Amino acid sequence: MSGCGLFLRSAAAARLGRALVAFTASRRPLRTSPPSQAFAKELFLGKIEKKEVFPFPEVSQDELNEINQFVGPVEKFFTEEVDSQKIDREGKIPNETLEKLKSLGLFGMQVPEEYGGLGLSNTMYARLGEIISLDCSIAVTLAAHQAIGLKGIILAGSEEQKARYLPKLASGEHVAAFCLTEPASGSDAASIRTRATLSEDKKHYVLNGSKVWITNGGLASVFTVFAKTEVVDSNGSVKDKVTAFIVERDFGGITSGKPEDKLGIRGSNTCEVHFENTRVPVENVLGEVGGGFKVAMNILNSGRFSMGSAVAGMLKKLIEMTAEHACTRKQFSRSLSEFGLIQEKFALMAQKAYVMESMAYLTAGMLDQPGFPDCSIEAAMVKVFSSEAAWQCVSEALQVLGGSGYTRDYPYERILRDSRILLIFEGTNEILRMYIALTGLQHAGRILTARVKQLKQGNATTIMETVSQRVRDSLGRTVDLGLTGKLGAVHPSMEMSSPPCHGGEQPSLAAGPGHHGRAVLSGVLPPAPQDSAHKLEQNVHALGRTVETLLLRFGKTIVEEQLVLKRVANILINLYGMTAVLSRASRSIRVGLQNHDHEVLLANIFCTEAYYQNLFALSQLDKYSPENLDELIKKVSQQVLEKRAYVCAHPLDWTS
Amino acid sequence: MRLLRLREVKAFSQGHAASHQLGWNWTPHLSLSPKGLKILAASLSCCGCPTGKGMSWAQAILLARGLSRGWGGICSTALTGAPFSQVTPQAPRGLHCSTAAHQPDSPLVPRPPEPQRGLVKALAPHEELFRQAPDGVRDKASFVQAVQNFTQYNVHKRGHVDFIYLALRKMREYGVERDLAIYNLLLDIFPKEVFRPRNIFHSIFLHYPRQQECGIAVLEQMENHGVMPNKETEFLLTQIFGRKSYPMLKFVRMKLWFTRFKNINPFPVPRDLPQDPVDLARLALRHMEPDLSARVTVYQMPLSKDSTDATDPTEPHIIGIQSPDQQAALAHHDPARPIFIEGPFSLWLRDKCVYYHILRADLLPPEEREVEEIPEEWNLYYPMQLDLAYGRSSWDDYEFNIDEVEEGPVFAICMAGAHDQATLAKWIQGLQETNPTLARIPVVFRLSASSGELLASSSGLEEPPLTPPEGREEEENNQQRQQQSQS
Repeated sequence: MSGCGLFLRSAAAARLGRALVAFTASRRPLRTSPPSQAFAKELFLGKIEKKEVFPFPEVSQDELNEINQFVGPVEKFFTEEVDSQKIDREGKIPNETLEKLKSLGLFGMQVPEEYGGLGLSNTMYARLGEIISLDCSIAVTLAAHQAIGLKGIILAGSEEQKARYLPKLASGEHVAAFCLTEPASGSDAASIRTRATLSEDKKHYVLNGSKVWITNGGLASVFTVFAKTEVVDSNGSVKDKVTAFIVERDFGGITSGKPEDKLGIRGSNTCEVHFENTRVPVENVLGEVGGGFKVAMNILNSGRFSMGSAVAGMLKKLIEMTAEHACTRKQFSRSLSEFGLIQEKFALMAQKAYVMESMAYLTAGMLDQPGFPDCSIEAAMVKVFSSEAAWQCVSEALQVLGGSGYTRDYPYERILRDSRILLIFEGTNEILRMYIALTGLQHAGRILTARVKQLKQGNATTIMETVSQRVRDSLGRTVDLGLTGKLGAVHPSMEMSSPPCHGGEQPSLAAGPGHHGRAVLSGVLPPAPQDSAHKLEQNVHALGRTVETLLLRFGKTIVEEQLVLKRVANILINLYGMTAVLSRASRSIRVGLQNHDHEVLLANIFCTEAYYQNLFALSQLDKYSPENLDELIKKVSQQVLEKRAYVCAHPLDWTS
Repeated sequence: MRLLRLREVKAFSQGHAASHQLGWNWTPHLSLSPKGLKILAASLSCCGCPTGKGMSWAQAILLARGLSRGWGGICSTALTGAPFSQVTPQAPRGLHCSTAAHQPDSPLVPRPPEPQRGLVKALAPHEELFRQAPDGVRDKASFVQAVQNFTQYNVHKRGHVDFIYLALRKMREYGVERDLAIYNLLLDIFPKEVFRPRNIFHSIFLHYPRQQECGIAVLEQMENHGVMPNKETEFLLTQIFGRKSYPMLKFVRMKLWFTRFKNINPFPVPRDLPQDPVDLARLALRHMEPDLSARVTVYQMPLSKDSTDATDPTEPHIIGIQSPDQQAALAHHDPARPIFIEGPFSLWLRDKCVYYHILRADLLPPEEREVEEIPEEWNLYYPMQLDLAYGRSSWDDYEFNIDEVEEGPVFAICMAGAHDQATLAKWIQGLQETNPTLARIPVVFRLSASSGELLASSSGLEEPPLTPPEGREEEENNQQRQQQSQS
């Protein structure tokens, strides 16, 4: 009896959720000026924000030529002059290499031109990143310098600060470092111990504390340092808050420890930095006093997207090298490339490279749009996907080589070691998954709550709509008996929110007037990847429904359900990847790029794989599904962690 | 039918194991002094079977049962001179004595002199076999030697059941009570093939009951000491009693249940406890403390090993344990609220009892508890809380409705050689080194065994010490006291 009641309630809740989605969907076109909603957040509501992702962002021919002018010499330099093996072995980037990098302007890629930088857009920055990543140590050094080290000055610095620091940083005369991590504080801002106290004359802050794992810590002469300061609240109470400072090495009291001995990226300089009574002038506060948290978050969120293109560049090179080996090495009088298991690895590498490239440039294109679009979820997704794909692909490439891949004579082991850091820095993938899932859920939750409120207030139209939607849904469900058939059906959003078909340069989603208003992305996509597009739609819709169920189930306690959040994030990453490849492939078809049929192949492979992965993950998110092993997993880990050891007896043991 | 009987035997063997009346309980009047034996012999001869020769053992056992049931009353009345309480189990001379049974044709083989003498000298036969050890060393080797002596001198294994019972009792003295090989050695004393049931009636009726009881007794003792029988045991038992016998059944059950019960304790205590009180205390504290990162600190070592007892009470050992979480909780404790030292509470580790004291505080009243709030700017990477108006829905709430009695925090545990206030004050002093806040917190001693004064570290907060009635009933006292303090 109680079980029955439970079922009824859950069913009702699910239906309510669906109805609520439909409600927001119908509300959307009422807005006069739709704000630029980030694509990923809308996915949580079961909607595809098509304007953001279709068509695939393009650069004009002029810009392309401009990029290629940069790319040529840089590529030549990296392939001919940089000796990655030597850098790795000696644990240091030679000074002449650094000088050359500076003269190429690579230390100021994103610094605006008026401050002596290259002033590259995000897309162009991503393009250059592809080449720089041919040596991971250099890429990390440059990224620490400009993606996080001096980014704070660009994002939050005052005009004076910019004018004072950026030119020298852009030319490479000064190297920047980003000092956030402390022994007791990884991502926990509350446990930052470094302290800045205002001196008596109120002209200086005295900085004390130590920071660990500072990339470029030994080279840098300008540091972005985060420290606790006392801030008086609006209600008069004194609180400790994080403040960002620009600290020059010349301020004194700065010592760096000896470089850490790392697994990979050995050429980059990572060390501890200690501040002892360093006097920082008050003008060097970055942003507001007490506003360091936001500064740090913005810097961290802004730097991630470039990893996609960087890894893609590295993978493309890797595919070339590995293919060379596979086609020349003979076993059983056949070359390796004739074996299916080897071929599979190349397909995997090509697919991953294609997806991450698409994701990275899609995100870069979004970021380059006017206004400051918030693409931090997308950037995080690019980072997670590309870092994991890098690890997997490099490992597979090494596998193709077999034993020789394991030796130091070949670069594979070095690339493998180097790529391991990608999963860790700039926010570990675990933490970023939490970020992706929670930010999206927050967005979905806000809209849900608003609707629940309206329902409770007895808004007549809302109730009517909810009821009718519920009836339609339940009828539809009885007809279709599953997810696949009617998924397009509950996409009135697509119908309503998409303007009438333009055609030509700005194709939009023309909703097919099919059964229940099924909307295939027919206006955007050429016929070839439409099947994949339909899969994407199904997944998106299912995600929207699942998210609502999850929010109703867990409410705000979903923060604690990390296994659930991980799955939501995984689904979302897949969805974003699917969108990116579909968008890119359809553009390639439309523009008529070379080998676009190959792209369609890759897109279809990825979409199909991701579709089934998503279906599995979605079923795992169902509370009573047999795929959901969360309880068992939690139990095992609890028992292991309680003992702090492997629990099982040895297989050879007896009872007595 | 069979099951019933087995349960009966089992119940007997378990119920009477402690009183050393293993086996033969249901026919006590047959395990008798020589006088009783004579009566039995007479009854046997009445049946036309002089000296038992030629009588099949099936008949014999039936007879025995008849005797035990029908004639039991007669026998027991005839034996008024030998009250049962005086009949020690060491002296049973069974009807089915193996020597007589197996070798009815050679009654003239001379007996080994020793057991005979022993029988004359003492109530327990074969006792002297265990006294023969040259230098009085009691170890496995001498035990094995004794057993070997028995089998060597007593080629007919006369009185082997008695000897096995005796040996079982002696095992503890020799420290071999957990040695599987010794048990197998004891079982090996039984003559082989003799007691095996040969037909269905043998198996239905308890064939050679005394011997089977003895075999069960051996297994029983193994069980009590947690010794798992092995293949050799099985082989011996099949050889001696056959597959369809009660010892074999016992064996099978042991094989089944031992594996299930061996590791049933999730908090196993080592089999051999350390002798040193400091090590023992260390072990006990670790045993009680669930947090693996807790640190055991020796605040004071006993002065010397000779003076661990009451001879030198000034320097007893003090060993404490405290986890980092407890340390943090103590650091956050409001110095205006007193904390209490309570004890001694007892803790049993196998056969040893140790006493410990705890440092605890009362539960904060609900209105004074600080609500843990999530700081706004905490996590640099992802939101730590969602801005949602509702929590977990009821249909996803796995929590059962359990009434939980909340207890105040325990800050540390200690074990000391003495349970007086002076010793425990030293512990607190030691704790203050790692917990500086402790110096500012008033500490109240609530010792149940000693009626010590309160430690007057702060005035106004003291409670009159409760006068405990007994030192051994601390836990009850403690419960009472907690109730009092809560009310």
